[in-house]
Amino acid sequence: MMAPLYEFGRFGDSASLVVAVLLGIAFGWFLEQGGMGNARKLSGQFYFTDLSVLKLMFSAIVTAMLGLFWLSWAGLLDLSRVYVPETFIAPQIVGGLVFGAGFATGGLCPGTSCVAAATGRKDGFALIAGMLAGVFVFGEAFPAIGHFADSTARGAWTLPQAFGLSYGTIVGGVVAVALGAFAGAEWLERRAERPARPMKVVA
Amino acid sequence: MTADARRRPGIERALAAVAVIGGVLAVVAGSPTRPTRGSVDVTELARIVEHEEDHVTAVELARWIRDDKPRLRVLDIRADSEFDDFHIPGATRVPLAEIARMPLDSAATYVLYSEGGTHAAQGWFLLRARGVKNVFFLRGGLYEWLEQVMNPHVASMTPQAQRDSIRSLTLWFGGKMTVVDSASTVPSALDRELSAPHKSDARESIRKIRRRAC
Amino acid sequence: MSDVATTAAGQALGAAASSRADATTTTRIRVRRETAPYASPYLAGVGIGVVLLLAFVLMGRGLGASGAFSSVVAAAVNTAAPSHAAGNGFYTRYLSDGAVNPLRDWLVFEIIGVVIGGLASAVLAGRMRWTTERGAGITDRRRLVNAFVGGTAMGVGAKLARGCTSGLGLTGGATLSVGSWLFVIAAFVGAYAAAPLLRRAWR
Repeated sequence: MMAPLYEFGRFGDSASLVVAVLLGIAFGWFLEQGGMGNARKLSGQFYFTDLSVLKLMFSAIVTAMLGLFWLSWAGLLDLSRVYVPETFIAPQIVGGLVFGAGFATGGLCPGTSCVAAATGRKDGFALIAGMLAGVFVFGEAFPAIGHFADSTARGAWTLPQAFGLSYGTIVGGVVAVALGAFAGAEWLERRAERPARPMKVVA
Repeated sequence: MTADARRRPGIERALAAVAVIGGVLAVVAGSPTRPTRGSVDVTELARIVEHEEDHVTAVELARWIRDDKPRLRVLDIRADSEFDDFHIPGATRVPLAEIARMPLDSAATYVLYSEGGTHAAQGWFLLRARGVKNVFFLRGGLYEWLEQVMNPHVASMTPQAQRDSIRSLTLWFGGKMTVVDSASTVPSALDRELSAPHKSDARESIRKIRRRAC
Repeated sequence: MSDVATTAAGQALGAAASSRADATTTTRIRVRRETAPYASPYLAGVGIGVVLLLAFVLMGRGLGASGAFSSVVAAAVNTAAPSHAAGNGFYTRYLSDGAVNPLRDWLVFEIIGVVIGGLASAVLAGRMRWTTERGAGITDRRRLVNAFVGGTAMGVGAKLARGCTSGLGLTGGATLSVGSWLFVIAAFVGAYAAAPLLRRAWR
C-alpha cells in the first residue's frame, strides 16, 4: 500500500500545504469551467432549468468513488487511512436543511463563492462575508447548542455498513442512481428549454 | 442557461460507459480490499518486547487517562457484553478483526487491553504490523486494572506520599483503596478469590472474568 | 469581433490581430475578450473527481471549503479576544493551543488555490466581470443582501453539519459517509423548499 502518501510519511506538513494550494487551483479551475462561479447558472438547479450542479457534483462523486474502490482493490491505496467524514445524524440533517435554504437564497456555496469573488462577482464577496458572519454566529452560540451539535454521533459510518451490503454493491448502486439522475436531468432541461427555444437541438 | 455550456456527447458517453463498467465490476468484486499485508521488523519488535516498551502498567494508563493525555485511544478488545459490564473509562470497544481494518490516527497513542492481556498483546502485534508506532497494551489486562487501580491493596508500611498518590488515583476512578497490615504480604487477586470472597463490585467483575477465557 | 485579446498579455505574446476564423490552432495562450462557453458539467465534474481522488491519494483526505472560513473566524476572534476564544469549544477546535497559527491550515491554503484557479480559468475564458449576478427581477442591492443572508445561513448550517457541499457532498459522497449523504439530501430539500420564495430574484 503506497497511498495515501502523506499518511505513509512520504512528505511533511509544509509540503502538504503546497499540495493544498495546487489541488485548490485545479479545483477552482474546474469549478469555474463548469460555470459554478456564476450564481445565476447555479441557481438554475433549483428551478429545473439548468441542472449543472447535480451533473457536476454527481460526476465528481462517482469519479472519486470509483477511483477509491479500484485503487484500493489494486492494493495501491489503503482505504482504512482515508478520512471518512463522521456522521452526526441530527445536526447534519438540520444543518443540511438550513444550508440548503441559504444555498437557494445566496445562489452559491462556500467553495463556489470564492470562485465567484475571484472572477469579480460582487455577490461572491457578499456571500463570503455572510459565511464569515454565520460561522461567527455559530461560534458564539456554540456554548448553548454545542450539545446538539455533538449529538447522534455515529463515527465514520458508511453506506455499506448502514445497508448491510458490500462496498462494491453500494458503489454499483451509486453509479446506477447517478446515471439515472443524469438522464432525468437531461429530460428536465429539455423540457425547460422547449417553450423558449423550440428549435434548440440538444445533443 | 444550459445553452451556455459546450457539450461533448462523445466523451461524455465514453465516460458514462467507463462508469457503468466500473460500477458493475465493483458489485462483482464486492470488497475494495484484497488480503491485507502487514510487515514487521522482527528484530526491532524483539528488542521492544525485551525492553518492555510494548506495554504499560495499569497505573500508568490510569494516570494518562486522568491527566487527559492528548490523542489517547484506549481499545477494549473483549466481547460486547463484557464491555457493557465494565470497561476502563474512555475506552472504545474494537474487536480484533476491526483492529486489522480500522482507520488509524497517526498521531494517536493506542493502548489495548483484554481480560488477561493475551489478546491485547496479539492486537498490539497487529497494529505494529500495520505500521503504528505508538501502541501499547495492558500486560495484566483488566485483572491488573481492577487490582491496581480500582481496588488496590496497599501495605501499611508504604510511605504516606505514595499511599496518598495511589488513593487519589483510585478515588478518581471511583475505586477504593485498602490498607493492609504489613505483617501479611499483599494478596493477589487470585489469592483473594480463593480465600474469603468479598462482595465488592470489583471482585464480582473478577469472578465473571475468570470464568471466561482470556 | 476579434477573439484575440488586445491586452498587454496578448501583445506580449506577439499575437497580432489574427484571423477571426480560427482561434484554436495556435499554441499561444489566448486571453479572450468575450465570454467562452462553459465546459460540459459532466467533464468539469470528472475533472473535480480526479482532483478529489488525488487529494485522497496524496493526503488521505478530501477537499473542503467551509473549514477555511472557520479558521479565519477563529483566528480573528482569537486576535480580538483571546481569552474569549480560548473558552469556547468551537473556536478552540481551530486554534490548536496556540502552537500553530490557525491560518496555517490545509483548507485555508486549498481555498487560496481555489481563488487562483477560478481566476485563471475566468481570465483565459474571458469571463472576468466586475458585476453582480442576479435575475432581472431584483436590484443589485437586494441581490447582495440575499447573498449575505444566504451566506449566513450556510455558515450556520455548514458548522452544524461539520462541512458543506465540498467537504461533505464531494468528500463524504465519494467515501460513502452516511451523514454526508444525509446532509446533501437535506440540503437539496432545503434549497428546493426555499427556491419558490426567491423565484423573482433569479428570473
